Amino acid sequence: MASWGEASESRLIGKRIPRLSGRDKVTGKAKYTFDINRPGMLYGRILRSEIAHANVVGVDLSEAEALPGVKAVIQIVEVGNKIRYQGQEIAAVAAETDDIAKDAIRLIHVDLEELPHVVTEADAMAEDAPQIRDDWAGNQSNPNVREEGDLEGGFAQAAVEVEATYHAPVQTHVCLETHGNVAEWEDEQNLTVWASTQGVFGVRNDLAGSFNLPANQVRVITEHMGGGFGSKFGPGVEGRRVAELARITGRPVKLMLTRKAEHLVAGNRPSMTQHVRAGATGDGRLIAYDMKGHGTGGISSGAGFQAPYVYDVPNLRTERVNVAVNVGNQRAMRAPGHPQGAFAMDSLMDELAEKLGMNPLEFRRINDPSEVRQAQYTLGAQEIGWHRRNSVPGAGTGVKKRGMGVGSGQWGGGGGRGTQARVTINSDGTVEAVTGTQDIGTGIRTAIAIIVAEEFGLAPTDIMVTVGDSGPGLPSGGSGGSQTTASVAPVIKTAAAAAKQKLFERIAPQLNAPVGDLRVGNRTIYVVSDRTKTIKWELATGQLGMDSISEGGEWDEELRQGGVAGTQFAEVEVDTEIGEVRVIKIVAVQDCGLAINRLTTESQINGGVIMGLGQALLEERLMDALTGRMLNANLEDYKVPGTFEIPEIKSIVFDTHRKVTGIGEPPCIPTPGAIANAVYNAIGVRVRELPITPDKILTALAEKKA
Amino acid sequence: MPDKEKKQGTSISRRSFLKGVGTGTVAATVAPSVLIGGEKAADAQEGDAVASATIQLNINGKPYQVEVEARTTLLTVLRDGIDTSGNNVDLTGAKLICDRGECGGCTVMVDGSLVYACMMLAMDAQDKQITTVEGLADGDDLHPVQEAFIQHDALMCGFCTPGFVVSSAALLSENTKPTLEEIKVGLSGNTCRCGTYPFIFDAVKAASKKM
Amino acid sequence: MEKFSYVNATSLEQVTALLSDSGWGEVMLIAGGTDLLAELKEYVETPKTLINLKTLPGMDAIEADASGLKIGALATVADIARHPTIQQHYTVLAQAAGSVATPQIRNVGTLGGNLCQRPRCWYYRDENTHCLKKGGDICYAVDGLSKYHAILGGDPVYIVHPSDLAPALIALGASLKIVGPEGEKTMSLEEFFTLPAANPFRENVLEPNEIVVEVQVPPAKPNSKSFYLKAREKGAPDFALASVAAVFEMDGKTCKSASVVLGGVAPAPWRSKEAEAALTGKMVDDTVSKQAGADAVKDAQPLNDNAYKVTLTQNLISRAAMMATS
Repeated sequence: MASWGEASESRLIGKRIPRLSGRDKVTGKAKYTFDINRPGMLYGRILRSEIAHANVVGVDLSEAEALPGVKAVIQIVEVGNKIRYQGQEIAAVAAETDDIAKDAIRLIHVDLEELPHVVTEADAMAEDAPQIRDDWAGNQSNPNVREEGDLEGGFAQAAVEVEATYHAPVQTHVCLETHGNVAEWEDEQNLTVWASTQGVFGVRNDLAGSFNLPANQVRVITEHMGGGFGSKFGPGVEGRRVAELARITGRPVKLMLTRKAEHLVAGNRPSMTQHVRAGATGDGRLIAYDMKGHGTGGISSGAGFQAPYVYDVPNLRTERVNVAVNVGNQRAMRAPGHPQGAFAMDSLMDELAEKLGMNPLEFRRINDPSEVRQAQYTLGAQEIGWHRRNSVPGAGTGVKKRGMGVGSGQWGGGGGRGTQARVTINSDGTVEAVTGTQDIGTGIRTAIAIIVAEEFGLAPTDIMVTVGDSGPGLPSGGSGGSQTTASVAPVIKTAAAAAKQKLFERIAPQLNAPVGDLRVGNRTIYVVSDRTKTIKWELATGQLGMDSISEGGEWDEELRQGGVAGTQFAEVEVDTEIGEVRVIKIVAVQDCGLAINRLTTESQINGGVIMGLGQALLEERLMDALTGRMLNANLEDYKVPGTFEIPEIKSIVFDTHRKVTGIGEPPCIPTPGAIANAVYNAIGVRVRELPITPDKILTALAEKKA
Repeated sequence: MPDKEKKQGTSISRRSFLKGVGTGTVAATVAPSVLIGGEKAADAQEGDAVASATIQLNINGKPYQVEVEARTTLLTVLRDGIDTSGNNVDLTGAKLICDRGECGGCTVMVDGSLVYACMMLAMDAQDKQITTVEGLADGDDLHPVQEAFIQHDALMCGFCTPGFVVSSAALLSENTKPTLEEIKVGLSGNTCRCGTYPFIFDAVKAASKKM
Repeated sequence: MEKFSYVNATSLEQVTALLSDSGWGEVMLIAGGTDLLAELKEYVETPKTLINLKTLPGMDAIEADASGLKIGALATVADIARHPTIQQHYTVLAQAAGSVATPQIRNVGTLGGNLCQRPRCWYYRDENTHCLKKGGDICYAVDGLSKYHAILGGDPVYIVHPSDLAPALIALGASLKIVGPEGEKTMSLEEFFTLPAANPFRENVLEPNEIVVEVQVPPAKPNSKSFYLKAREKGAPDFALASVAAVFEMDGKTCKSASVVLGGVAPAPWRSKEAEAALTGKMVDDTVSKQAGADAVKDAQPLNDNAYKVTLTQNLISRAAMMATS
């Protein structure tokens, strides 16, 4: 049975290994899609609608076409079609410089007949709201209802009840490298695209379909990628259009979205509003849960959220609808549906615990079915110093008040079939590992090198890893769902093992030992029954001559496992005069399965916590009902955490088993709930709407006083 | 041409000067002449308006001659510039991220001082020493900040990394032993979305021990 | 950005000559450019010509002596923040400068630019929103999203003045030297700023052919204490939700005189005569300081989303007053 072996046997796996791409990234040599400069390259730009809802009456490209330096102008929206949100694509240009392209799109004249828009959920759900989707009466999807147990019976057993409304607004991904591509046609049948994507094969297949080409005549390259968080699958309108512009002009074209367009059309985390009534028994069992909620994913559906979450509830009814608004569509964003669901659920848990007069951690222990999290509660509580927590929320007389809270999360991340990989040993001792996954910043390139190096007794830097290129024809899935490492690692491991076996077979006669007795040591191969028999790695591979070893790998269920639990504890300080919330410390106890690289795993946990902190305290897409436009489509008023927001973060890699699991998403889940609960514990007033900004703190404190 | 102009490394391209801002279809809404103050265009002097010019920039100790418009930013030259010999400047370490001086992705040093290259006109960068992330290492020897960023995993996707590296190097050149609070202030003009901040702080502290 | 042509300034005479007759917007001045280039990138401004002031010699000097402070309009925000005399004797100014945006902005942003910067209002900054400030019919903040807008002096345009330096300098009693075609004039900085009721399109009385060249600050009074308190949502580069620049002349815990100027709450830096009156001649304690805060905002008229600023401003003022007693 395949296994990763014991921790004591691992030379590299589970250690802290600097990532292979580090040197290129710190010197500026790493080339992202945005940095690709091809000979003769043109610059593409897209003209987008500033009107949220309109009929397209006319589009006149002539003036743009006449501008010197403009090489192509294409119309994207057809006359007679509808514009359904700000940012929707109208036309695209390719020009000699980016500045000319910018000038050119301003010379495209568009005649739009404005229609009434709704861009907020309140407006969309109003009785007299204009209907913006023919298939959704009242701009709402059919309710999705789930019922379990006996709700009224449950409430009858409840000793305490809480009824409350929780809200999380739309958050955007804010990938620092905006979506975009560089497209170049070698000839009419062969297209190369540098794509800022989480899935090179997905982009390849989409573009091959769009241009009616055999898939292997499209090559997609993503050597480095500047953040995706779930929003970068497929080429998008901009990817298909840049390929079209390149084909028309016969020149390479780069087209990256602007920061504004990135906010408007490149995806977002849907909003969540849930009205909950819940009850618990006198001995602290969550017994009944009744939730009616809605959210918006823009003009599309997809506004799901987890409710209830993590904790056991025997009797429940949930009803949820999607609300359509004239705004750009949602896309998967880091643990879709979970952080907002966790925020509401963990807030609710604390409210119930308080009514029961119970420590919120105790209340969780009673209702949490996860054994892993039960252990994490103990560890995290120790680490944060839970005993120091205010036993009476809002206790204390100072201006600055401290409090603590806890939150929980659960994720899958077990990977799946579909990855092909090849590990090659060359006669000069060099080793190559190739697969069609992509490194979106999580460090899979380094994880692959670690696995191969461990297998061969080499150093990770000895392994030449090729990822992010569909050219070699070794597909792998998109990097989403925290599935990458668990999907890729088993295949790499088995490929390396197969290659090692082949090498052993070649070397065994020379060492005069059975193949089964050979082992790798530090850059050597030796015979386990007679350790005097050794051969240096390069001498062994030198025997290969022109006949290098190259082996594929196989998916192996035994090497991976899904299902990770996480718990976070937050300590905050609230300035009750200014309304400022400062997070002092976060303890993140994260089940990680087998961490291939403990260093990059800790980075992932830190990163999840910080994105969760942004959702808790800063981030909100603001839509203007009157103009139909987003008011903060920039990085000034759409606020993501900066250096001053960063607390002490104690990331605890919680070892549960030695099988590979993905953890890209889960660490962002518990954070908003933990922070919201800590704020309540500090000031004794609950803010049920994210983000918890000074205006909300001051308003809540004023209401409490009144 | 006056000496002063030569000293600035500026030679105003007569062709582009005469062409002025009135190129293409923008002409209709733009004043036909770039002349202000009654000067004749033929011999542009200090104090004359220029719409474009060939300028010399000193980047990482190397001179680059590029033709720019008045509106061309330093960042555009670094990333997309083509010098007068037809070679790409291709210094793409500085990134275009927010394009409004809000995120720090384009941070470079100009005469040792941190600036946002997206918010600086290329013409203003003449006669100054520009240092980008590509210019921090001494051949194969990395700057202590760069080495520390690698060792501490102070980067994930890496897109913000060049900006943070430059800001960190500038911080340590002024203050070799910064406190955590001083590090936060020094790097407050840079934004990371992956959330590498804790390890960036560690890296800067580690690098400061080697300064 | 639209295309423009660029002139290096050689003298103030040349600058004012280039500016004359052009009205607003055709010819514009650029120094640090951190505000102006953002406006150009949004096409909120589309000047034909920019005059580069950075080539004017000597205008970045900071002189400190017994007669007070003289700061050239081209002095950078960073220069002001780190100037030892300013840090020691004009603390409120050093703190305000240190709170501006980010190191990268402070290194290039200038005093003149900071005083003359345009509002951050998201309606004003959107090319496609033709708001009252830009000659349209309505101020969108009135019925729109107004979290960052004015609670005082707004009518009919509810922008807030974004400057941190202006409240600090007004609190210090600064005056401003302005050069125009007719020569130079000096006016108090407080009078330099105007409210929308007087002129909805501009935030100050500068004429299109004038240029701010210097700020003068009288000597710091002995026994004075000064503070700049700034509330933000995000540590940097946020503009103030509300800020208080305060200079107190103290005799023990008794306030002999007070100068209290608010930022981020009104279309101009807002001198609170009410807070000053509530503190002057009083033994400052919790009650007095709270009263000063309350008096300062008694005429506040919040919009839909910014009532919190009333409390916030009140609390910042009382905090500043209490700080003067310790």
